[in-house]
Amino acid sequence: MRRNVRNISIGLVLALTLLVFAGCSTNEVNKIDDLETEKKKVVNLYTNRHYDTDEKLLETFTEETGIKVNVVKGNSDELIERLDREGKDTKADLLITADAGRLYRAKEKDLLQSAKSEVLDKNIPENLRDQDNEWFGLTVRGRVIVYSKDRVDPEELSTYEDLINSKWNKKILVRSSSNIYNQSLLASLIEINGEEKAKEWAKGVVKNMARDPKGNDRAQATAVVAGEGDLAIMNTYYIGKMLNSSNPEEVKVAENVGVFFPSQNTSGTHINVSGIGLTKHAKNKDNAIKLMEFLSSEKAQKQFAEANYEYPANPSVEPSELLKSWGEFKTQNINLSKLGENNEKAVKIFNEVGWK
Amino acid sequence: MIKVRDIKSNINLWSILSLIFIILIVLPNLNIFINIFNESNENWNHIKEYLLKDYIINSLTLIMFTGVFTIFIGTSLSWLISVYDFPFRNFLKWGLILPLAIPPYIGAYTYNGLLNYTGVIQSFLRNSYNIQVNQKYFNVMSIKGAIFIFTIFLFPYVYIITKSYLEKQSSSLIENARVLGRNSMETFVYVVLPISRGAIIGGVSLVILEVLNDYGVVKYFGIPTFSTAIFKTWFSMGDIDSAVKLASILMFLVFIILILEKFLRGRKKYSYTTSKITPISRKRLKGFKGKLAFSFCFLIFSIGFLIPTLQLIHWSLLTYKDILNIRFVKLIVNSLSIALISSVLIIIIAIVIANYCRLKNNFLSKIYSKTTLVGYSIPGAVISIGVILFFINIDNRLYWVYKMINKNSAKLVLSTSIIMLIFAYIMRFLAIGYNSIESGFEKVGNKFFEASRTLGMGITETFIKVDFKMIKPAILSGFILVFVDILKELPLTLILRPFNFNTLSTKAFEYASDEMIQEASIASLIIIIISVISIYFFYKAGNKEEV
Repeated sequence: MRRNVRNISIGLVLALTLLVFAGCSTNEVNKIDDLETEKKKVVNLYTNRHYDTDEKLLETFTEETGIKVNVVKGNSDELIERLDREGKDTKADLLITADAGRLYRAKEKDLLQSAKSEVLDKNIPENLRDQDNEWFGLTVRGRVIVYSKDRVDPEELSTYEDLINSKWNKKILVRSSSNIYNQSLLASLIEINGEEKAKEWAKGVVKNMARDPKGNDRAQATAVVAGEGDLAIMNTYYIGKMLNSSNPEEVKVAENVGVFFPSQNTSGTHINVSGIGLTKHAKNKDNAIKLMEFLSSEKAQKQFAEANYEYPANPSVEPSELLKSWGEFKTQNINLSKLGENNEKAVKIFNEVGWK
Repeated sequence: MIKVRDIKSNINLWSILSLIFIILIVLPNLNIFINIFNESNENWNHIKEYLLKDYIINSLTLIMFTGVFTIFIGTSLSWLISVYDFPFRNFLKWGLILPLAIPPYIGAYTYNGLLNYTGVIQSFLRNSYNIQVNQKYFNVMSIKGAIFIFTIFLFPYVYIITKSYLEKQSSSLIENARVLGRNSMETFVYVVLPISRGAIIGGVSLVILEVLNDYGVVKYFGIPTFSTAIFKTWFSMGDIDSAVKLASILMFLVFIILILEKFLRGRKKYSYTTSKITPISRKRLKGFKGKLAFSFCFLIFSIGFLIPTLQLIHWSLLTYKDILNIRFVKLIVNSLSIALISSVLIIIIAIVIANYCRLKNNFLSKIYSKTTLVGYSIPGAVISIGVILFFINIDNRLYWVYKMINKNSAKLVLSTSIIMLIFAYIMRFLAIGYNSIESGFEKVGNKFFEASRTLGMGITETFIKVDFKMIKPAILSGFILVFVDILKELPLTLILRPFNFNTLSTKAFEYASDEMIQEASIASLIIIIISVISIYFFYKAGNKEEV
């Protein structure tokens, strides 16, 4: 008994010492890393993407340029908050996040800087990047209407604005307004139609909702097939993800809905991007710009976009077969920075009209 | 002369360490309180006008209904298990603790995946019998669903505490009631409920604190509550002032609940007529009644543990090829090592403070003892704000030291390191370790300590040679409880972890919020397996202690 206690306590002490040493030694390694950062060819990337194909792509970049890419993954909002907190001490050179609204927020917080590169200017169209070149869109998704193939004739569908038509009463499925994709959609309508009309629209959609907003984008498509409503507002790539799901039932759901690109004869379909920005306090600026150029290049764009079933931002690269099967579409012709500028207004309108 | 001696006897290693620990726990919370009086900004006015009402109503609805249901389920189960004998009772006795091994957020997405349109149940009905069910009855992603999830995964708190109370304390009263001709129902309502009121309320207040702390379930179901609101105003609106204001309202709510608990529990104390503790003689339920008791317990066990675990196993089989790789091993190592380090530290700190408090037993030590509980009652979202502000402050003050050590040192050293997360764990879970150690010391009493001191050993020597050995079971069970809690913890880990640091729980949550439920299953299963093993050891340790 007594020996037992002694053994346990000795064991605990040993374990603790080991852990402390382990902690110190990793610190040591970090320090070495810091010093090497200055001499060696590295670039540090904060990203919200986590696809295995991305890693392969970055390996290719390292092979071609000899620049090692350190990746830190996290949720977009948290990464921005973190970058803000680290200030000029940050190790991050690049930030990749989904949604232009977030990139705008990073810019507003003074976390990004302008990246001058002819290659980027050539590869990324003007409306998909920041006016001051502080961020560049890399992949494009549309926020579209998904409809029940059984119950809805696509001829009846027309514009986002038409969704408040009384014929869709109790038919519309859409997720919560706390989601940034909805915020950006409303922000674009504020830009196109003005604040008052946008508020009317939000109010009208709430009135036509089949149920209180709940679940994610996939859940909306599922609810359409389950018969809870006829139309769902969702991002294009979720249909791609569902078609490739490990759950065969989800594949069936995706096969039973149609994709409709709204507002083709008017202002165009709402699009958004995942984008990349050079951080204000980047220590490896040249390497960072090289990686940005690489990711916008024809070679990388296809793989980068297809990892998440998105459209490439570089217009000279063709989208995947699946996306091509949905046909080409006209996009909203506004600079995506506006999504960020109008974000606060959009959030407040949602709260005011009771879009949960 | 006397004074000098007093001071000398008051200042020793234990008292100094205790003081330091207590100050470290209090400081980050002061940060939050100081911010309450900041001028309210435009965001705050907007929140107040359109959102605050929902936050309050939703949070209150959740805690009220979950509270009532967990009392109902937890008490009735503990009554059945401790007073009756029926088939498989021995297995169910510990099986009914197992729902605690499943963190509510994992339970939430498992049940959603199970019940929704593409889930196993509906697809089976649809594909085999062509039955289309009304989605309304299968939707867990609502406030009702959240109440269900919280109830079914948190009721063991009420069950464990009430059961151990009934087993140890109530036999004479229950037997008297029986002898006096009360039937089971009457005994339950008129005797068991009133005497175990303290235990039940103790259990249910743990449940309520867990519900208020939860971020995973309400976020996944899209229910606006205080914890999601704090995250949202902080991260999405980038407004830490308003987040702090929300946090302070939440703290106020918790404060009221704790006072209410004291009030409800404290008025009357039913203590025992005799010091002899006799276990209840259990009544054997035969035939139909036995089956009924078994069915009820087994139903709860299935809903709370068996069904979600089977579903997770099924999903793991679908996805293990893509998910299980070397990076996964790292996740496990991360989770285990941070839980281990933090638990060991918590136990050490708990021992230091508890030992100091029992030896001093004065006003100051009572304050110390209460302070250790602060962290557990404050939701993770609030703690994380306090801890971050605190660490950035420290880093700013220590910058010159960092520069002395390394000329190129960054300014934020501690606040970007794992130390911050460990610190937050300690703040939050110290209460659990402390309670366990304190009750261990209480059982032992001071006699052995005094004897040892009389025989010439110092406090520290006595502790190592005498006390430590005697409170070993308490140390072990405290350690296990803390370990499991840290393993399952979500909100603190999510916010405070350093870069590149993922744990099983953050990974599971990331997958789930990325709408990849099947992919989240393996991380979830591993958490559950480790928790089940730990709970088993805890249960065994508890049994040994009783004997």
